[in-house]
Amino acid sequence: MRILVIDDEPKVASFIRRALEEENYAVDVASDGQSGLDFAKSVNYDLIVLDLMLPQLPGMAVLQQLRAARIHTPLLILTARAELDQRVRGLDAGADDYLTKPFAIEELLARARALLRRGSGSSTEILQVEDLVINTATHEVTRGGQRIELTSKEYALLEYLMRNAGRVLTRPMIIEHVWDLDFDTFTNVIDVYISYLRNKIDRGRDRSLIQTVRGSGYMIRAEE
Amino acid sequence: MSIRVRLTLWYGTALAIILVIFAGIIYFVMAQALHDRVDAALQDAAQVAIRSLEDRFGPFLIFEDLSRDFPELALVDKFFQIFGPTGQVTIQSANIKSREIPLSQTAFQAALKGQATFESIRLRESIPFRLLSVPIRYRGRLVNILRVGTSLQPIEDTLHRLLLTLVIASPIAVIVSLLGGWFLAGRALCPVDAITLAAQRIATGDLTQRITAPTSSDEIGRLASTFNDMIARLETLFRQIRQFSADASHELRTPLTITKGETELALRRPRQVEDYRSVLESNLEEIDRMSRIVDELLFLSRADLGEIKLHWGPVQLDEVLAHIQQQVTVLGQDRGIQATLTDVTPTTVYGDELRLRELLLNLVDNAVKYSHPGDTIELSLNHMGAYARLQVIDHGIGIAPEEQPRIFDRFYRADAARAHANKGTGLGLAICKWIVEAHRGAIHVHSTLNAGSCFTVLLPLSSPS
Ligand SMILES: Nc1ncnc2c1ncn2[C@@H]1O[C@H](COP(=O)(O)OP(=O)(O)OP(=O)(O)O)[C@@H](O)[C@H]1O
Ligand SMILES: [Mg+2]
Repeated sequence: MRILVIDDEPKVASFIRRALEEENYAVDVASDGQSGLDFAKSVNYDLIVLDLMLPQLPGMAVLQQLRAARIHTPLLILTARAELDQRVRGLDAGADDYLTKPFAIEELLARARALLRRGSGSSTEILQVEDLVINTATHEVTRGGQRIELTSKEYALLEYLMRNAGRVLTRPMIIEHVWDLDFDTFTNVIDVYISYLRNKIDRGRDRSLIQTVRGSGYMIRAEE
Repeated sequence: MSIRVRLTLWYGTALAIILVIFAGIIYFVMAQALHDRVDAALQDAAQVAIRSLEDRFGPFLIFEDLSRDFPELALVDKFFQIFGPTGQVTIQSANIKSREIPLSQTAFQAALKGQATFESIRLRESIPFRLLSVPIRYRGRLVNILRVGTSLQPIEDTLHRLLLTLVIASPIAVIVSLLGGWFLAGRALCPVDAITLAAQRIATGDLTQRITAPTSSDEIGRLASTFNDMIARLETLFRQIRQFSADASHELRTPLTITKGETELALRRPRQVEDYRSVLESNLEEIDRMSRIVDELLFLSRADLGEIKLHWGPVQLDEVLAHIQQQVTVLGQDRGIQATLTDVTPTTVYGDELRLRELLLNLVDNAVKYSHPGDTIELSLNHMGAYARLQVIDHGIGIAPEEQPRIFDRFYRADAARAHANKGTGLGLAICKWIVEAHRGAIHVHSTLNAGSCFTVLLPLSSPS
């Protein structure tokens, strides 16, 4: 899951980024409205966290331009103002949720999870394919009731596959949603991580869940 | 009791008292005049009769003769009686009829002494009479007493009617004038009600209210316009305060967000010691920022309320400037920024030395902060007319023309400044401006984006007498 954070206060942007990264999300940071808008238009993010008080291009304008460009990525606004009209205007302009600064980290993460869930059309924190179950809040992964330990990248990749269960995901799509901009794109890394995942999830089971779609990419689903 | 009721009652009472006194005087004067007229008429009649008696003096007086010669004696409204020297009636006019009106003792005694007597009597049928008894003497001897009398009934009737008129008319006049007074008081007080209504709406927090009532220059008009002025001032004051506290809470929210966020993040799971250390350091920085904001805000709000007193005295500006130059060496050490004194005229101004130092320190702090590493800052002091002119010149990032008017506003920070130096509250120049104005001076900026800025401070050379 890839998230864009737009905030001009470097310290704020930095701790939000670290918090999200600890949850295995890929995070990019833009420090002003214009670059935030450019990022959001060029990468297909799963969630945008937007501060309303930005120099040059205000947050509200970023939001309106995004929606005008038909980019409907779930969006969480951060505002220093608790005033009702600000929040209402933000929500009217197409934001999905808001948080008032200062906020609790856990609340930010919970709302981010809820928005990501909404984005992928599911309504619980539990994702399940056959007997493979992951809890997106605790990052617990089990198969057939057995706990499976994953590294954070492996988990991020699995969560992305599970959120899009039954759909073919190309390598560029996976890169975009699981790795952030700092990542040096050599697509081979995906195949490497897929094989790690297969080792931990499918090996020694009757049915393997991670499928290779020749010529296009990967997908997770129950084998017929 | 409302003012309207009170005004009306006062008015009514005063009018009632005046009416009562007035009616009393009218009644009294009228009664007096009427009685005087009766007495005069009686006297006239008596005189005529006496003259006629004297003409035909004799032991017997025939009334018929008298009335023939003097028709006025037979007037119906008067009667005559002539008493003998012992007080018994000898002759009396016919219109006295059978009424028995004897000569009173007082009149008889007065007649013996040769004096005339007026008397008022009331007969059994309660008809009031006025009587005049006049002695007729002949060679020093009382021969007869002539009495003329008339009924007072017409006068009493007139007076009675007058009294009735007054008793009925006065209350009506009072009632009518009470109504008029009530109406007039209401009209005069109507703007007061408007003011009260406006004040009530203002009390509920709506400071946009104004009194639309009279624009006249009377008492009420002045009250209304004074009231409007007051509300206008309150409104601006409230707007300033609201804006100020909104700004303040906004400025404090960022450091709070950072300290809260970083601390919570650090506590989510066990970390390395260095991680904790960097969080604590960062938090300390934010705490310093918050206490600076609070200090500066406190200064400015106390300044707004006029609570900051200047300690006036002569200030040797060239010495202050030399001291500031040394401070720049410390401030700019890390980034190799130096200050030079280009032109220093020895100058003494009258002011608060501590505040003037603070002013210059704020200016050079900005100059250092918004300069590039290795730059030089120029300081100068000279005279311009009646003013001492201080200049702080840097070759740093400069300020865009459209932003120049706003940099003296509280919390305002230019975009370029935010990008260049992250720390800063935007209160420094607001404080400078306050200090300069408290010294009756002026402060301006000349600046070119990406080339540098020049801040000029003018302070009056003469001491305020
Ligand atoms: N010498 C300068 N060069 C360029 N810009 C300046 C200079 N001095 C002031 N400014 C601009 O004016 C703004 C207001 O200055 P001010 O001193 O009030 O606030 P600050 O320096 O940002 O914060 P602080 O309250 O910490 O001083 C600055 O943010 C900056 O944009
Ligand atoms: Mg400053």
